[in-house]
Amino acid sequence: MRQRSHNGLVILAAALSAAVVLGCWPAAAEPIATHPFSEALVTNQTGDSLSIVSLADMKSVAEIAISGNPAGIAMSPDRKYAFITSPESKELVVFDADTRQVAKRFNVGEGPLGVAAHPSNGLVYVADWYVHKISVVDPLAGKVVAQIAVGDSPSGLAVTPDGKSLLSADRDSDAVSIIDTATNARVKSIPVGKRPFGITIDAEGRRAYTANVASDDVSIIDIATGTVVGTVPVGHRPYAVALARGRAFVTNQYGSSLSVFDLDSLAPVKTIEIGDHPEGIMADATGANVYVACWFDNVLMRIDTDKLTVTGEAAVGDGPRAFGLFLR
Amino acid sequence: MVKAVALALATLALFPTFASAHGPSRQKVTETVEINAPADKVWGVIGNFQDMSWHPAVAKTEGTGGNDANATRTLTLTSGGTIDEKLISNDPAKKIYKYEITKVDPKVLPVNNYSSNISVKGEGDKSTVEWKGAFYRGFMNNDPPPELNDEAAKKAVQGVYRSGLDALKKKLETGG
Repeated sequence: MRQRSHNGLVILAAALSAAVVLGCWPAAAEPIATHPFSEALVTNQTGDSLSIVSLADMKSVAEIAISGNPAGIAMSPDRKYAFITSPESKELVVFDADTRQVAKRFNVGEGPLGVAAHPSNGLVYVADWYVHKISVVDPLAGKVVAQIAVGDSPSGLAVTPDGKSLLSADRDSDAVSIIDTATNARVKSIPVGKRPFGITIDAEGRRAYTANVASDDVSIIDIATGTVVGTVPVGHRPYAVALARGRAFVTNQYGSSLSVFDLDSLAPVKTIEIGDHPEGIMADATGANVYVACWFDNVLMRIDTDKLTVTGEAAVGDGPRAFGLFLR
Repeated sequence: MVKAVALALATLALFPTFASAHGPSRQKVTETVEINAPADKVWGVIGNFQDMSWHPAVAKTEGTGGNDANATRTLTLTSGGTIDEKLISNDPAKKIYKYEITKVDPKVLPVNNYSSNISVKGEGDKSTVEWKGAFYRGFMNNDPPPELNDEAAKKAVQGVYRSGLDALKKKLETGG
């Protein structure tokens, strides 16, 4: 039995490498990085900069000036580039994370905020707060190639791991849009809690979680059916959600805390007191830690997901938001 | 008149949630004061959410719910304007309370989505009071007029905190 499964893996691996050699898979040039995260790239909105934090020792190793009040962030699948929104200058900044230099920046509308990168087609999606559309961007060409009308003031964006669907938290419509990335058609709008802001999809692409700023709860969406399957009360003014080891970790801006709940039972596990105005949050690849940008206190905090305690912090620039996927 | 109403309606349609929108960058202000008085005594003056009389710009505090979470108060200012506020949390053991503004005219204080906390830390006969605020500017769309931009919002909040903390120090140190 063991032998057979081993053979099966070998055959699968051989088939995959043949496909790569033939150039038919993956579709885009960017391979998906699999090594553990080593850095956090933290957007400092009031400080007009990007802090780079070494995760091994929780130390800021660089702070790079980026004008336009940077807020949202996403990574290319190979983690070479970070895509950063600068709402005040209405630009998308393409940051080369290997050389730590801005590669390109260009206008993407009126109020760019949330941003997400597709896992294989090379495109980046940017939510526009003021014109209620998502811009589909070719980041290396530096241009908007299409726009998708969604609900009012789209905020957080996330793409399913298979790349088929883009989800948009349409904050002022109290709803989530599901978009077919093959056609850029908005196929569904799902009512959720009040003022959904951050949105996170699980690794299986099965469920999405929105942090609802005005109703102090998290809506859980079954993506295949496009329905809300659960609503979980959290702390005051939730901002974003990270998933690790069967639990959700939710930043509560006014609560200065993380709400932790179980993903199966949806029962509360713990409320962890952390820095003031916690915002962007992301789990590392193993799920052993989550990292949280605390906007008021100008720190990035590390929280152990088993002990449920703060185990480290790094000073960053002024007003860190890290809204999106900021580890690489 | 009809034209003005139509314009106002058109503006509302363009920006359906003007009051609760979140587009520009949030600003922050922190002000502190050191006071020659023990922390318990300082907290005794500022720790009651229903009594803001220690601030020289506040003429009257009226509210409900005491010092429990979700308590409310309306501050009537000496200038005549009012500010409605709600208590988010209160921790007398740590000497900190957090609150938010639920309603204010931008002409009174040019901010949106304002939240704040005030705390006291003591060491012997000395204390440090810290007052922190997080808020958006008075004008929530692109290209604000100067009286409703980020700088105007920060300056106004700094003014409130500074005048309050300086008056608090004077009151506690001189007994006045």
